[in-house]
Amino acid sequence: MPPLDTGIAVTLNVSAGAVASVQIRSTRLTQASRLLAGRTADQVATILPTVYALCGTAQGLAAAAAIEAAAGVVPSPAQRMARRFLLQLETVGEHALGILRDWPELLDEPPELAAAKPLRPMLAAAKRGLYPDGDWAKAGGGRLAINPGTLIELMRQVEDVAARIFAGSPETWLREPVLFHAWVRRGETIAARLLRRILDGGLAGFGRSPVPLMPEAGPPDLTWRLAGDRDGSYVTRPDTAGMPLETGSLARQADVPLIAELLVEHGHGLIARFAARLVEIAEALRELEELVLDLSDDAGAPGAIAGSGIGFGLIDAARGLLVHRVELEEGVVRRYQILAPTEWNFHPDGPLRRGLVGVAAGPDLAWRARLLAAALDPCVACSVEVVEYA
Amino acid sequence: MCMAVPSRIVAIDGGTATVEAFGETRTTSLMLLDEPVAVGDYLILGAGGNFAAEKVAPEAAAEALAYLSEVLASGQA
Repeated sequence: MPPLDTGIAVTLNVSAGAVASVQIRSTRLTQASRLLAGRTADQVATILPTVYALCGTAQGLAAAAAIEAAAGVVPSPAQRMARRFLLQLETVGEHALGILRDWPELLDEPPELAAAKPLRPMLAAAKRGLYPDGDWAKAGGGRLAINPGTLIELMRQVEDVAARIFAGSPETWLREPVLFHAWVRRGETIAARLLRRILDGGLAGFGRSPVPLMPEAGPPDLTWRLAGDRDGSYVTRPDTAGMPLETGSLARQADVPLIAELLVEHGHGLIARFAARLVEIAEALRELEELVLDLSDDAGAPGAIAGSGIGFGLIDAARGLLVHRVELEEGVVRRYQILAPTEWNFHPDGPLRRGLVGVAAGPDLAWRARLLAAALDPCVACSVEVVEYA
Repeated sequence: MCMAVPSRIVAIDGGTATVEAFGETRTTSLMLLDEPVAVGDYLILGAGGNFAAEKVAPEAAAEALAYLSEVLASGQA
């Protein structure tokens, strides 16, 4: 049996004072979804969120969307709203967990565990507060019965998270980039201090890459590439017309004035990527506050999905575009494929490699590479090794 | 993708647990968990494994482990 401890290993080969080449090896199980063949839609809804628990909400919702599309089932507006609420809450939680648990290490500080601790329980509480039967990932829709008390408490916790990251309202920067710079200059939160270290170290444009950003509707050739991917090479090393793409916060927030300005000034590098993550949290928080007022009960879909067809589920997961594709025959899965964001961003010729080849070596090279990996936000552990050639 | 392998707690020492999955053991911090855990409970570890992310119900853990065993046996890893 191969080992199950999957991860990404990055090796930087240094020669003549610069990074001559970069190898990215992934031992991630990119084709594990094949084994879903032969199972029913309801079984998929149970297995996927547990097997992919770390981004389980996005995985469960992508599965529901793909199965519904295949079976020709349209979820009600109430279901769509509740799902969007859970998805945005997971995005806030995953981004916040990265900032509070992982960013301190980049500043040689201990993780902010007390602040990170409520994040995952928050999401579990939201699922219980919306879908008391636990069927939030059911294709067609589970039984929605809103518990207002849970939601009020949840929104209070979300505000606490925002305060811990921003220490103030991030709303203003979205309109006024100059206020973002003032926050980076003076802010005392871990996020403000990491961005300040990047700017002060002259690293704002570090890791700049020419890799194009993922279009909002996904790769233009997605449909036929996935259909033809019998050996799994596409979902392991995806490209579009031979070129990898960058997915995630930067691709999604590139048109926000602050990010657009940072892109012009520094390119697709560290500062634009980290700032895009912060903007995404702010946008998601704003959306959560609107959505919470509109959530409503819904009986859900009676019985199991019985249709046949091919369906796609495209979901903006915290780390980028998550795609599920299912071939369904009378409610039973015949073929199941998953294309995850990390396969784009940590592609052997993707934005991480392009951002590191040619950069100057030096004692802090491994740290700079770890910064870039953190900015591209892998969903598994990522190790960095520097090898010197004479 | 971010496969999460439910790992069974075999020992607890303060804020750290020794967990086992598919015959391999490792240690993980319990500092991010919001509920008490005991030997025999199943945990999902966060990316990298340094911190346990959540406790999983035994039935869900059994189902996920059965699926992952099939994945490994099929050589689809």
